[in-house]
Amino acid sequence: MTLQKDPEGNETKYLHAFAEFKDKRILEIGCGEGRLTWQYAKATQTTVGIDPDRDALRVATIDRPSDLQNKILFACTHSQYLPFSNETLDLAILAWSL
Amino acid sequence: MVHALGEIRRVLVPNGILIDLRPVMDRWQVEVASAREFRETGRVHDLPSPLADDEAANRAMAQASEDGWFARQREEFFSYYYSWDTPSEMEEWIAEEWDDFIGMHEETKRATRSAWALGGADARVRLRVKMLITRWRVKGASQR
Repeated sequence: MTLQKDPEGNETKYLHAFAEFKDKRILEIGCGEGRLTWQYAKATQTTVGIDPDRDALRVATIDRPSDLQNKILFACTHSQYLPFSNETLDLAILAWSL
Repeated sequence: MVHALGEIRRVLVPNGILIDLRPVMDRWQVEVASAREFRETGRVHDLPSPLADDEAANRAMAQASEDGWFARQREEFFSYYYSWDTPSEMEEWIAEEWDDFIGMHEETKRATRSAWALGGADARVRLRVKMLITRWRVKGASQR
């Protein structure tokens, strides 16, 4: 199967046009295997990707670029109960998940 | 969904930003594309469940806005393509991965196969998914 997703990179273009990532603390809800995460995380201070799908997170952890090991964290959880203190994140992304 | 939006608001700093990025059901266009041109061969049909999900998501964001949790700052639609080498690969993908979301009539399948067969060596088949991206800002004092 030779599926290509978004070969023109429109999603990344729009995401960067709508949000500033530099030195920000990011929460990505529905990160799945990290397809979108890799497109912006390098510029951030910290990125936390959450997803209820444990298998997808396993893939994301394996695929995480080595230079982003300390910058990107993954957690298996639902968005109804976020494991963070109040007012600790700058930006949240609902990634195909609302 | 509304509870999740409340949680997101709780963890975001004052004036923090929420980006809502998602596909919206809109009888997505099927196309055959090559370097020279692209041609629409039909549209998929939307199944009831994802349409209801879209409506629920829209209602949740509208409620969060009415409640003064978030203020909408900017919104746009854009295209996100799924592209395959052959029509049969597309049909297989839809049958296996998206059978709860969309369907494709035989007429569209035939038109796509025909256009692809007549296309150049680089002809591919693609589905134009309609995407919505919205930027929301956390509004007002929270009950945190």
